[in-house]
Amino acid sequence: MPEPSPKAGFSLLDHVLNLGRQAQAAALSFAFYDYSSDLSFSYQATRVFHAASTIKLAILLALFRAAELGRVKLTDRLHVRNRFRSQADGSPFSLQSDRDGDPDLYRSVGRTASLQSLAETMIVRSSNLATNLLLDYLEVQFVAECLQSAGLSSLRCVRGVEDEAAFAKGLNNQITGEGLLTFFRRVHEAAILTSESRDRMFDILFQQRFNSMIPAGVPDAARARVAHKTGEISTVCHDAGMIFLPGRAPYVLVILTEYAAAGSAAARHKLVAAVSAAAYAFIGSLPPPLPTV
Amino acid sequence: MNTARDLPVVDGLRLSADLRALLRPDEPVSDRAGRIHRLPRFFYEVRSWSQAKELLLTPHLRLSELLIVDSREHPRLLEDFPHYVPCAITLLARVLEDFRARVGASVYIAANGGYRSPSHRLSTVAGPHNWASAADVYRVGDTFLNSASTIEKYAGIVRDLAPEITALPYGHLPGESDDHLHLDLGYLHLIPASCDESLPA
Repeated sequence: MPEPSPKAGFSLLDHVLNLGRQAQAAALSFAFYDYSSDLSFSYQATRVFHAASTIKLAILLALFRAAELGRVKLTDRLHVRNRFRSQADGSPFSLQSDRDGDPDLYRSVGRTASLQSLAETMIVRSSNLATNLLLDYLEVQFVAECLQSAGLSSLRCVRGVEDEAAFAKGLNNQITGEGLLTFFRRVHEAAILTSESRDRMFDILFQQRFNSMIPAGVPDAARARVAHKTGEISTVCHDAGMIFLPGRAPYVLVILTEYAAAGSAAARHKLVAAVSAAAYAFIGSLPPPLPTV
Repeated sequence: MNTARDLPVVDGLRLSADLRALLRPDEPVSDRAGRIHRLPRFFYEVRSWSQAKELLLTPHLRLSELLIVDSREHPRLLEDFPHYVPCAITLLARVLEDFRARVGASVYIAANGGYRSPSHRLSTVAGPHNWASAADVYRVGDTFLNSASTIEKYAGIVRDLAPEITALPYGHLPGESDDHLHLDLGYLHLIPASCDESLPA
């Protein structure tokens, strides 16, 4: 195992904090783990953030867990219906297609879609409709139990997307940098899912279409594959995932940001991409791993 | 084989024990208001999904359109054939054909919006869907029925078709609908003349 470089680590954190200050982020959480060097460090990793669409990772985990338990099959089909009940008071609500990352699924209202295709749409295109359909089917309690039993209690899934009645009562999905870092590590290590489920789950995460944050910080020439999920609402902008570089073990990176008010999405993406670029540069500064005997 | 006339009719009380447990033929069940009704006893036997897709109940309505359910249906009834569907489905189809003619546009039935067995997870209380005498229409032509104005407009047309047809009003409470038009013929039993209603020994 190579000797980690504390100086390089402190320098990276300093750089990240500077980037956050320049972008006027009200809060920034950064969590990093490198399988190659076994080096990990974090900043504000236990601070709680609104999950935004990163909560879809929890639902994806629960779906695969349900499949492993035999509760569902990924080929099962669900009625695509844009009508949900609030977790706060049972009041009905529906989603607006023009506010969804994927308006296409709304054309399937009335028909059916497979759990597999809904999972892909939920992650790859960040479909809110697919998310709520899956959560409604799996049930919030089951997702919460999956997170609990996986040792991911800092990830809190309590409601679907755009459940305004729940939002008004302060019922929000929450994450921490540490929680998402642990999520990726435990999934990757097949500690909470089988390796078959892990591979299928990563296949979905690799197809992510929103690539202006963590992947944008990794040079094209690096030929990286990034399994990740973004999350954005008016005041938060997150990305979390695993970066697989050829010829070395992967690293996990979680970048969570929060702002005092709504602002430019492009500028926020730029900050996360810059932090990702700093992490990539740091990886490059590490000595190569010793060959194993 | 292109019409329901060609489908075998079976007595649910003579089906295998596992199917009787799921379809519960002739069993008394209670509706949302606590009223007791007897579930259908006589069923058409549908041998395959391709048969359901080919079979026209009316000039514009295929049997499959009233049989699409999602994984909330019991796996045995969802995945294995033959399927069994109450005979009242032919009368429901005629109502839908009349409705189509009246509005002059295609009528789309939602998944889970035609026949649902008593073992379907949405069948928490008995309702006409368990009799194959109800349909949830989510779209007429290019119009999605997800507002008070669209649902009430087409509910009015349905009610004008015949007095025995019910169309639920728009609303969010039980007995109302807000993202489709529910129409039904009540707890309708259709017993073809060839059927024998004596109880099996």
